[in-house]
Amino acid sequence: MEKFSLLGKDMKRIDTAAKATGEAIFSADLFLPRMLVGKVLRSPYPHARILAIDTSKAERLPGVKAVITAKDMGGDKWGVFRYTQDQQFLPTEKVRYVGEEVAAVAAVDEDTALQALALIEVQYEMLPSVFTIDDAMADGAPQLHDAYPNNINVRVKIDVGDIEKGFSESCLVREDTFRAPEDTYCQAEPYAVAAQFDQAGNLEIWMPNAGPHMKAKPLANVLKIPLNKVRVRKITIGGAFGGRSEISPADVICAFLARKAHRPVKIVYTREENTVATRQAHALVTRIKTGVDREGKVLARDITCHMDGGAYSSTGPIATSVPFLCMEQAYRMDNVRFTGYRILTNKPIRGMFRVHGRAFACGVDVQLDRMGEELGIDPLTMRLRNARQAGDYTPTRSYVASCGMTEAIIRVGEKSGWKEKFGKLPPYHGIGIGCNSVQTGFPMGIRGGSQAFIKLNEDGGITVITGIVDNGQGNDNMAVQIAAEELGLTPDDVQLISADTEVTPSDPGSYSMCETFIGGNAVRLAARDVKQKLFKIAAGEFGVGDDDLTVRDRKIFVTENPGKSMSIAKAVRIALGRNESISGEGSYWPDVDAGREWVKNPYGQLSEAFSFGAVIVEVKVDPETGQVEVLEATAAQDVGFALNPQVIEGQFEGGVAMGGQGGMLTEFLQWHEGRVLNPSQSGYLVPLAIDMPKINSIIVETIDPKGPYGAKEAGMSVAMSAAQAYCGAISNAVGVSFHEYPITPDKIVKAIEGKKKRENEEVPG
Amino acid sequence: MKLPPFEYLEPSTVPEALSMLDAYRDKVQIIAGGTEVVNRLKLRLIRPDYVMNIKKLRDLEGIVEHEQSIIIGANVSVKEIRDSSLLQDKYKAIAEAAFQVAAPPLANMGTIGGNILQNTRCLFYNQSEIVLKGLDVCHKRGGASCLAVKGGKRCFSVYQGDMAPALIAFDAQCVLEKSGSRRTIPIMALFTGQGVQPFSQENNELLTGIIIPKQNRAYGSAYRKLRVRGSMDYPLASAAALLALGADGRFAAGRLVIGASGPAPKVVDRVSAALLGKLPEEADLKAAADMAYELSEGVDNLVLPGDYRKKMVRVFAQRALQGARTDMKRGM
Amino acid sequence: MKEMKRYSLTLTVNNETHEVVAPPNRTLLEVLREDLHLTGTKEGCGEGACGSCTVLVDGQPVRSCLTLAVAMEGRKITTIEGLAQGGRLHPIQAAFVEHHAIQCGFCSPGMILTAYALLNENPNPGEAEIRRAISGNVCRCTGYAKIVKAVQSLAGEGR
Repeated sequence: MEKFSLLGKDMKRIDTAAKATGEAIFSADLFLPRMLVGKVLRSPYPHARILAIDTSKAERLPGVKAVITAKDMGGDKWGVFRYTQDQQFLPTEKVRYVGEEVAAVAAVDEDTALQALALIEVQYEMLPSVFTIDDAMADGAPQLHDAYPNNINVRVKIDVGDIEKGFSESCLVREDTFRAPEDTYCQAEPYAVAAQFDQAGNLEIWMPNAGPHMKAKPLANVLKIPLNKVRVRKITIGGAFGGRSEISPADVICAFLARKAHRPVKIVYTREENTVATRQAHALVTRIKTGVDREGKVLARDITCHMDGGAYSSTGPIATSVPFLCMEQAYRMDNVRFTGYRILTNKPIRGMFRVHGRAFACGVDVQLDRMGEELGIDPLTMRLRNARQAGDYTPTRSYVASCGMTEAIIRVGEKSGWKEKFGKLPPYHGIGIGCNSVQTGFPMGIRGGSQAFIKLNEDGGITVITGIVDNGQGNDNMAVQIAAEELGLTPDDVQLISADTEVTPSDPGSYSMCETFIGGNAVRLAARDVKQKLFKIAAGEFGVGDDDLTVRDRKIFVTENPGKSMSIAKAVRIALGRNESISGEGSYWPDVDAGREWVKNPYGQLSEAFSFGAVIVEVKVDPETGQVEVLEATAAQDVGFALNPQVIEGQFEGGVAMGGQGGMLTEFLQWHEGRVLNPSQSGYLVPLAIDMPKINSIIVETIDPKGPYGAKEAGMSVAMSAAQAYCGAISNAVGVSFHEYPITPDKIVKAIEGKKKRENEEVPG
Repeated sequence: MKLPPFEYLEPSTVPEALSMLDAYRDKVQIIAGGTEVVNRLKLRLIRPDYVMNIKKLRDLEGIVEHEQSIIIGANVSVKEIRDSSLLQDKYKAIAEAAFQVAAPPLANMGTIGGNILQNTRCLFYNQSEIVLKGLDVCHKRGGASCLAVKGGKRCFSVYQGDMAPALIAFDAQCVLEKSGSRRTIPIMALFTGQGVQPFSQENNELLTGIIIPKQNRAYGSAYRKLRVRGSMDYPLASAAALLALGADGRFAAGRLVIGASGPAPKVVDRVSAALLGKLPEEADLKAAADMAYELSEGVDNLVLPGDYRKKMVRVFAQRALQGARTDMKRGM
Repeated sequence: MKEMKRYSLTLTVNNETHEVVAPPNRTLLEVLREDLHLTGTKEGCGEGACGSCTVLVDGQPVRSCLTLAVAMEGRKITTIEGLAQGGRLHPIQAAFVEHHAIQCGFCSPGMILTAYALLNENPNPGEAEIRRAISGNVCRCTGYAKIVKAVQSLAGEGR
């Protein structure tokens, strides 16, 4: 008998038919009775004191039902961490970036709302601004917040081993600087919020989110109502990619407008607002010094990274740390020092992004390629020599229980024909490799665990109740798939209630790649709880032990004697007949180091499991134009166990597009005095179907001891290592290493010209 | 994004349209496919009292072959031009230009008239209030500064239409009608060469048709475009070429037009003289492309740097000439 | 603000006629979503660059966010809601579901309609043609691979 009926198989997702017909409701699709249109007034200046706001004309405009400013809120400052509480949802004293929220209105239609905005008079006193990391850190620079001298928002220092000793023992040392400007999520769905209060003061609110419970608490705090009165509702979400996890001013503004107007309010962001007024991804400058031995093994690494965080902290400590942590997981480095700075500038706020840190990871891999070249070792072998192994501890002391990095590297090498190609391709034709690793969650204190309930119906069907959230990656399906598998049901027998804070218990959300590991485990345990209760009943009826039973195809039967069986429905009815209620509960809290803290104590078990990815990409460069034709991408990731292989392939393919094709070739924000010049999709260019190469997906399974059925995560290691592979391939094609990203055609043409010039100069007169 | 308020006009005949233009003049904005005008309205770049939809004017439809020319109605969609076997066969550059306009859904909507008459573009101009409020007002918006070029005394916005360079390579003309009269001028004459007011068309004139003269020699043409992605994007550099052979098998005429290089397409005049009398295989197309480079213009006001875009004019001019030469041999 | 004239329009959407009263500055997208409550068509960018607003007008994919509703009288409009018949998925919708060509689903209505129009015009497109046809539709999740596979699965089938 096969081990699983549903897991590991191609299971059609439960949510996609409704998306195919257009029936799936996203936040902007909600229409509530008497709903008002909300609009936000934004600062036109990058740094200015707010002297006065006069909303009287706006309030008098017919059709305007509510106008709010900071006066209507408490003025409390919020932050993801207790030590980063620096953001008011409507600022009281000054604005810190172009586009920051200043006031908001709710009116009967959009025309009226826009008119009302134009009637709000704000008096500003301009302040000097800073737009670059260097300017922000300079002595005498204007300070964005009193709490952060020199605009240094976060400083992370990790120091392990003895780097000086390591460098002294290295046969080769090099130091380089890598840079990339901001990029952005560009989720297909622009942000939108709908909110309404009922007579009892309960808030119902819908918005795209990466964790409704993460939104509920700050809302409760700022509205000064208890958590049980805040219902963040389930809604179809059009992508998150690391964003949409923290509370957003739009959420708070919409709730306040709804409360003041006593009517539902919906705010729909334009694409521009989605780019400017939610989150962006950090610009990075990374200086890396690495020393290797004769075999190409890294003996020491010293990294300093400055990130441009924009005007507020957001998830600052996390973003400052993650690019380093990914590298320390992917590659062995016993002696390493990392100093990370997040710097504040008068620009929109930056948060964590799925492919955050291209100028960090590409830098690490570029150095491995270059040093390998000097040693006569090819890039793939360099990766193998430094690959993380199972049983290791990372420098910051996370135990790595399962690791398929080596297998991933070997398999992409074989599939892509690396050995036949590397060093043997014609001019301007190149191949490159990138490796990366991602944690499944991190210590999140009281919100780090997930709990699930299962309700049973008398006809044997169930409802799973979980805080798991689906941003489009298929997490809802995962919850149903796991519960159905455990209980021998079909997906149709399983109803799902998820991501609704009135009903579902707390869950850390899809942020930080932990939904499968933590949320999935909780569902599995809840299902197991139900199974044990049902087995007890059947065991009693059949006169066997609980261990002698199996459940499959809606039937509980004696494993060695399948003729002895009863339907699940029957077992349920037996329980009810005995006046015994029957339901399931399960919770999962990862065994991580609760004392680990991003800044104060960045050591200890970060997460229980890590995924590992390797990507190889082959490209052809047009030397006249610098345009890159991407021929083929081969991606492998150790996902632990593939719950749904097609879904995982979809993650790999989307990851190659986002991290590689977009992140390395076309995606960057353009600026003028703190203003984004390309906030919309005509200016911020993400890959189109015609741009994408053939993608080969290889699923590596290491069956993690703690993951549900061995599963870890599937969304990120490929997405990130794709960037490094693209960088390596283009560098290989051109014969010049690229240290600035994205590698746009003008940079390639310049590099080729520079190389030709150097070659001509080297030819003896 | 919300459109500003306006009154709507929908004439059903050309005379009706012309009398409306006469009545409202600078208060009316003509709309056909809408792919450009609707965006300009949403960004509040224009705030007309009236928007006049000319899509119902049947006289502006059709690709008709005449003895000496081909006449394309101004409302013919970019898709129809792309799919026309007549144009693909005999006017390759024009079909190629249509093929490379944006992406299919936009080519379905857009018309040849609208594509020719699209306004010039710049990162600092095609923006909404969020970006521009608080900055100096630029020349194109009626102010006295240039945001793209510090101290810039003129507008550096870029003409990024795909169809016009190809049409100009064929020396195409356009028909402009107003109440009581019409005039036919070369398409090149539509352009003022200036960014603030890129077109010389009067505000009571309607572009009704395009006239492409037939060639009386063996000839070939091509249109080449540089863009970031493989679809959707506007050109960052472009070139259209028409090469014609005399009875002696040597070049008798050559026309090279560059686009996305300044506020108007530019005819590279010296190319014809340079190619005259040369055998196709021996003609120095690279030198001709260098002449295009001399006319090129590029500042940092689009997605990629100006100096790169200038360099690419040379590359794409050469590719257009090579493409025209190949097309010519195919036709022989 | 001067009051705009409101027009009485008869719009044919998914083979049903609807009477809509709208001022001229309303796009087809707004009328579909807000007046007819057909929210399957999405606003992803508002400027025609992303394709989420794609609907079919007389069988051709167009951007409803760039189309004036008042100009649509007498035209046949098809939205995503017009594909499934009697609760049964259209084969193209079924193919998208089966091939995992949908993740977050925001781009899907526009993408499916564009693919539907392609297959109507050319029942047997090759991969390059499929990619070109859908290159006006931005997808941020899938990398397009399985979308192409879904369309390929229908190519060549007499429908």
